Amino acid sequence: MRGEKFFMNYDIVIIGSGITGASIARELSKYKLRIAVIDKASELPAGASRANSSMIHGGFDDKPGTMKSKFCVPGNKMWHKLKDVLDVHLDECGSYVCAFNDDEVKHLELLLEQGKANGSPGVEIVSGDKMREKEPNVSPDIVAALWSPEAGIINNFEAVNAMIESAKINGAELFLETVATGLLLDDKGNVRGVSTNKGDFLAPVVINAGGVHSGEIASWAGDKSFRIIPTKGEYFLLDRATGGTITSFLFSCPSKAGKGVTVLRTAEGNLMAGPTATEQEDPEDRSTTPEGLAEVLKGARRLVPNFPVNMNITTFAGVRANTESGDFEISTLKTPRGFVNVAGIKSPGFTSAPAIAEYVAEMLKSELADIVTLAPNEKFIPERRNIPRFLYLDMDERKSLAQNDPAYAQIVCRCETVTEGQVIEAIRRGARTVSAVKMMTRAGTGRCQGGFCCPRVAEILSRELGIPLDEITRHGGESRLLVGKTKEFLLKGALSE
Amino acid sequence: MSERIDVLIIGAGPAGVAAGIGARREGAEKVVVLERDWDLGGILQQCIHPGFGLRTFKEELTGPEYMHRFIQQAHEAGVEFRTNTMVFQIDTSNDPSVLSGHLPFAGEAKTPHVKGERAIHGEGVTVWTMNKERGIEALNPSSIVLTMGCRERPLGAIRIPGARPAGIYTAGTAQRFVNMEGYMPGKRAVILGSGDIGLIMARRMIWEGAEVEGVYEVMSWPGGLRRNIAQCLDDYGIPFHLRTTVTKIHGQDRLEGVTVAEVDDHMTPIKGTERYVECDTLLLAIGLIPENELSRMAGVDIHPVTGGPVVNDLLQTSNPAIFAAGNVVIVYDLVDNVSDEGLIAGANAAKFAMGKIPADAKRIPVKGGENVRLYSPQFVTGEADSTIFMRVTHPIEQACKVFASADGEEIYSQRLRYARPGEMNEVRIKAEKVKANPNISSITIDIQPV
Repeated sequence: MRGEKFFMNYDIVIIGSGITGASIARELSKYKLRIAVIDKASELPAGASRANSSMIHGGFDDKPGTMKSKFCVPGNKMWHKLKDVLDVHLDECGSYVCAFNDDEVKHLELLLEQGKANGSPGVEIVSGDKMREKEPNVSPDIVAALWSPEAGIINNFEAVNAMIESAKINGAELFLETVATGLLLDDKGNVRGVSTNKGDFLAPVVINAGGVHSGEIASWAGDKSFRIIPTKGEYFLLDRATGGTITSFLFSCPSKAGKGVTVLRTAEGNLMAGPTATEQEDPEDRSTTPEGLAEVLKGARRLVPNFPVNMNITTFAGVRANTESGDFEISTLKTPRGFVNVAGIKSPGFTSAPAIAEYVAEMLKSELADIVTLAPNEKFIPERRNIPRFLYLDMDERKSLAQNDPAYAQIVCRCETVTEGQVIEAIRRGARTVSAVKMMTRAGTGRCQGGFCCPRVAEILSRELGIPLDEITRHGGESRLLVGKTKEFLLKGALSE
Repeated sequence: MSERIDVLIIGAGPAGVAAGIGARREGAEKVVVLERDWDLGGILQQCIHPGFGLRTFKEELTGPEYMHRFIQQAHEAGVEFRTNTMVFQIDTSNDPSVLSGHLPFAGEAKTPHVKGERAIHGEGVTVWTMNKERGIEALNPSSIVLTMGCRERPLGAIRIPGARPAGIYTAGTAQRFVNMEGYMPGKRAVILGSGDIGLIMARRMIWEGAEVEGVYEVMSWPGGLRRNIAQCLDDYGIPFHLRTTVTKIHGQDRLEGVTVAEVDDHMTPIKGTERYVECDTLLLAIGLIPENELSRMAGVDIHPVTGGPVVNDLLQTSNPAIFAAGNVVIVYDLVDNVSDEGLIAGANAAKFAMGKIPADAKRIPVKGGENVRLYSPQFVTGEADSTIFMRVTHPIEQACKVFASADGEEIYSQRLRYARPGEMNEVRIKAEKVKANPNISSITIDIQPV
């Protein structure tokens, strides 16, 4: 089928299925709407929602009056409920901002005021010694810290997949490997849809949740009011055996050198440190650098002097959508009518996403009521259950799973104790790449980084999907794992000479 | 009540199969070897190149042939094998740091020393297994032999900056793809590290029609055996670069190339020596790590340098009911040594199950000299003749001697033509030498030029 002849009709098209797009899709699935979510990636999450600090912020860091301050605290409260509704891991661990000198203590006082103004519950300044009672491995030079009890750390891989799955359960459609190429307008200049590599998606409302590409997408609508500055953040991720080093999320105070490195324990128990904040041209360059990693290590050791970097299992980088204003860009455009920006969503974007999604629904009701009707979907199902996480089940639950389905009595990923049953379930829920299985099950996230399970996951994908092993990719596109069968390969080589 | 098992062996590679034979020959009745793969043999299944068993069988065998001989002996000896059976948890009732489903955190690093009176005859040690037919089961054997082998160090361990495309594999994963699955991981490979599997895979890639641009080793000497450098690289004209490493990875989807650079004495890349190398595959042969997730769950002491359980010359760990042998203890250079150690561990585990190991056996600590990087066992009882395996830190390319002394008195000495980190050296301790002096406080092993 040729792209230009292919089109589908929707009420709303959402460009981008990061945490922002996915949350909007789920929120709008509470209404009787035909929703399409398109994303260029082969698996979710792919952009900034994949590579970030996985922080659910307390809400003290944002200047009162900004969009960020408006959504962060409500978003935080929503996540504390959504974790059960959507069955995702949220470690409700709290966070500390650490001060090493008087100037930094002054900064804590400012944050405390902001926190109170923003309605962030329970924020307080504690002494360094008080903090070290709870976190004995932090620097003895920390003199005071701002404690935020409502801050948490989420499993961001799970959260994005849970959000979009919940939207799908309620009727939204997800199209992966679908690249938006332009905006379609009708003869009156109103929004008519989005053109993509897969054909046209027609809808009177288009929501731009394009993350680091949201500036470019806005420019299709003629909106040049903001600019996205792709900003790279690099991280170390350490073996899960290091997770006892700290139990809360640790921030540095921002300084002239930058916003400062954080050290945290992920929702799954890995020690992690980052990010840097390096502006760059290329929104897709997610390579780590010697300079960036050195900066992270220095910052991590300032907070946690014995940061056990020898237990590192991988380094990674994410590119976030910074804006010149430093704030989110959320609005409906007057022209073309039907175009909605939810752009420049970066920290505290993950935290804010569910609150932003509610706001977007309200915005559609109040500003675009003439072109889209939000009638409640009485059949909306809020709950979504995760793929069973074998690692965390008790022995009786494990036994009963294995009894009902022998695939749960076969380990695929030995580092994270992921069973074949989980991998098959991920494939049933839409995983098509080795990396998608990783996002949905954690197979390959452990200390051997897929050395053991990658061939096995590839074999299961090949078997379940009925496609040859050498067509399985790591993360879509040209990322094939293998280049052909051995003897065929030799023969082809010989023939070409 | 779970079934009665005298000796339970975890892993049916060369160490585990030999341990089964050793345990049965010693007289243990019910000896069970668990294997997570569908077939026996461990990593040797995919080692289809010759070079195994020169010492044991006085001929050059492939990995599968070598294993076949041992597996036959094991069947004849009455060893029971359970394949497709994975141990996913070991609980020791006296160890509060082991919680269901959670590995103990290193931050809380507790490796309790389980005393002799506990955990005897299977009490307090529960081995959880899974199998598609049998489901999830708990076993309480009288003694255990850990023979899980080792795994390859992954890329993250050396923190190379750059992108994360497809096409980066450990050499062993690539070997599995080529030898077991029949697929090629790529067409033009760079190999980082000169461990034996990397050298073997360099040759293998050439045989399958791929190109190998070069092998890069950050150290000043090769990681693998000299014979593999000669037979796998030199014979095929594959360039071998010492003191050189990969400093950056390029490519978004599939690997497109790597930057390599020479390093100084501190292993820091030297500016100006960087070179871009086009390749679609990077194979890693940067070292092997004993695989001890289960050992940690079982709460046995782990040695910080070997990465394996601390053992005495009976190959008994800090938990007297748990024994260990092969690459799970220390990474060996030759499989013959692994099999030998497996036989010893199996026999002693059987003795333990039958109550024949004295609870008050001596524990004379072994110490390493200046140029000794790692060694095992770390304690000697003197109950039987034993061999201490060791590797040097720096090569000695001249005549030297490996020796052992008990409180300053030499009890073993052997002249060598050279000593190299890639090849192990052995110290043989005669039981009578230990028995002769009941007051030995420690034994020191060393290698020095002569």
